Amino acid sequence: MVASTRPSLAARIAARARAALPLDWREQVESLRYADAGHGFDSLGLHPDTVAFGAQALRFLYERYFRVRSSGAENIPGEGPAILASNHSGALPFDGAMIYLDVLRKSRPARVVRPVLDLFVPGLPFVSTFFARLGAIGGSRGTVRYALEQGELLLIFPEGTEGIGKNFSQRYQLQRWRVGHVELAIRYGAPVVPVAVIGAEEQWPQIARLDSVHVLGIPYLPLLLTPLPLPVRYHILYGEPVDFRGRLTPQDADDPEKVAAAAAQVKAAVAELIAKGLAEREGIFR
Amino acid sequence: MSTTRLLLTGATTPIGVALVRALLDDPTIDHVLAVGREPAASLGLPLGERLSYERVDLRRSRARRRLLFGPARERGVTTILHTALHRRAQDSGRRIHDLNVEATRELLHLAERHPTIDRFIFRSSAAVYRIVADKPSVIDEEHPLNLGPRAPQWIRDRVEADLTVCTQMGLSRLKILVLRCAECLAPDAGSQLYDYLQAPVCLRPLGFDPMLNLLSMGDAIRSLRLALACECEGIFNIPGADTLPLSRLIALAGRRQVPLPEPLLGPLYRLRTATLGSDFRYDLNSWRFHFSGVLDGRRAAAGLDYRPATRLDWPLSGASG
Repeated sequence: MVASTRPSLAARIAARARAALPLDWREQVESLRYADAGHGFDSLGLHPDTVAFGAQALRFLYERYFRVRSSGAENIPGEGPAILASNHSGALPFDGAMIYLDVLRKSRPARVVRPVLDLFVPGLPFVSTFFARLGAIGGSRGTVRYALEQGELLLIFPEGTEGIGKNFSQRYQLQRWRVGHVELAIRYGAPVVPVAVIGAEEQWPQIARLDSVHVLGIPYLPLLLTPLPLPVRYHILYGEPVDFRGRLTPQDADDPEKVAAAAAQVKAAVAELIAKGLAEREGIFR
Repeated sequence: MSTTRLLLTGATTPIGVALVRALLDDPTIDHVLAVGREPAASLGLPLGERLSYERVDLRRSRARRRLLFGPARERGVTTILHTALHRRAQDSGRRIHDLNVEATRELLHLAERHPTIDRFIFRSSAAVYRIVADKPSVIDEEHPLNLGPRAPQWIRDRVEADLTVCTQMGLSRLKILVLRCAECLAPDAGSQLYDYLQAPVCLRPLGFDPMLNLLSMGDAIRSLRLALACECEGIFNIPGADTLPLSRLIALAGRRQVPLPEPLLGPLYRLRTATLGSDFRYDLNSWRFHFSGVLDGRRAAAGLDYRPATRLDWPLSGASG
């Protein structure tokens, strides 16, 4: 066998995308630290060139379409395991993409946030591979545990599909707040950074959803008011980290009452940030 | 210094031969009783005081008993290292099952009442794990096993043999060690990926590019030597130093890759087997061609002091093309 020396098409595209990034973005991408498992990928599939490609491909949405503004990025820990817990909405996970880009742009030192995907996503063709190369991970407990043990920064939407699939009338109302992120935070000593995304809840008004329609394992089919998402302005607010290490031991992750109380604390912090963000913004598109 | 008198099954496989060579350089190994189905000449090593060879068909119960209570007792064997599993995935049937499962079961039971044997090491494989979308992509030793009723015999046998050994752990007087090794990408080592890469064009599922983990021959041998040197027991994943996507693997092998819709791959590979005689079976590999499965080797690092160190030689040696 003769090894191919010519870079693949994907590698060439990624290299061009990296070169085309503005200097500040490129510096962030090039200073990313990741655990290379041997061939330029980490064990979970992250590939820095694809991160650069993703940044270049989605930068238009971040800078021009949703015109993201953010505050509190200094609350993102510079190293070690940590969890960003955010509200979730918008029919498609643009909120996750914008948080991803914002963390990439503003974290010091530069970090890639690892969005934790719903269990059906790794079964989607193309999407699963692209997301994995960007750093997203499947939501199985074992993978998430491994990522935290490796000191990764995770992005979790505790509302899950109930959040992204909520109707327009339920905007900015936090749905059932799952507790898994807090269990993990307590067990692995990871601080939880509450995050509020303002704007995404109005980006693509959903008037109803068909729970009986499942395409490619997607749990429902949304009925949306507009053919494309609206160019709302995103505001991302990072709150002060909630650190359970002083109050709770890793064993407390098995205590449902303590876990529920801790999750309620995170939910309240996110709700407070949402209220702050809504009060401060001047309009949906401004 | 305590010494080991070892019975090694599967000694004439590429891994077996390489292991015997390595063990003969190890002063803690007093004697190696190599066992294989082929004539002694296929071992390619001079027999002597530290190396003997028995030609045994492990599919036969009588032969297994004769081996353990004949040559193994005469040589005072203290450890069985069982690596003999049928390698060709296209074969199936009762005789294959006898080698994969019944031989493992009986060797273990015979060893329990053997006067000199006190350790049983089984070289299992990562193929026992279930790889699906909603399970972790980094696989630790508690990962679900592939117990699906529709799994091919090649996998079912491996799971059954692995479980047969694991269920005796803690119940037997023997110290039992199970090594679940990543795929060793080498010729004649039972590697499905190696056979897959023999084709000039490699087909893979459209839209998926999972992460794989591969073990080099050097690391495979080193992990077995560390297992022999260790007094511990338990189940250990043995990952390799190469973790890469399927597309990158194909590119490194110098093959052309063609992503195709999933329903076409099974029939096309069956056609290839029928016409060209490949040992690669798509049905054995379809899940891991969709979803990542990388072994988590942290337990082996802590318990055996094993860490993958040797990458595969690219391009692969011994391959045609």
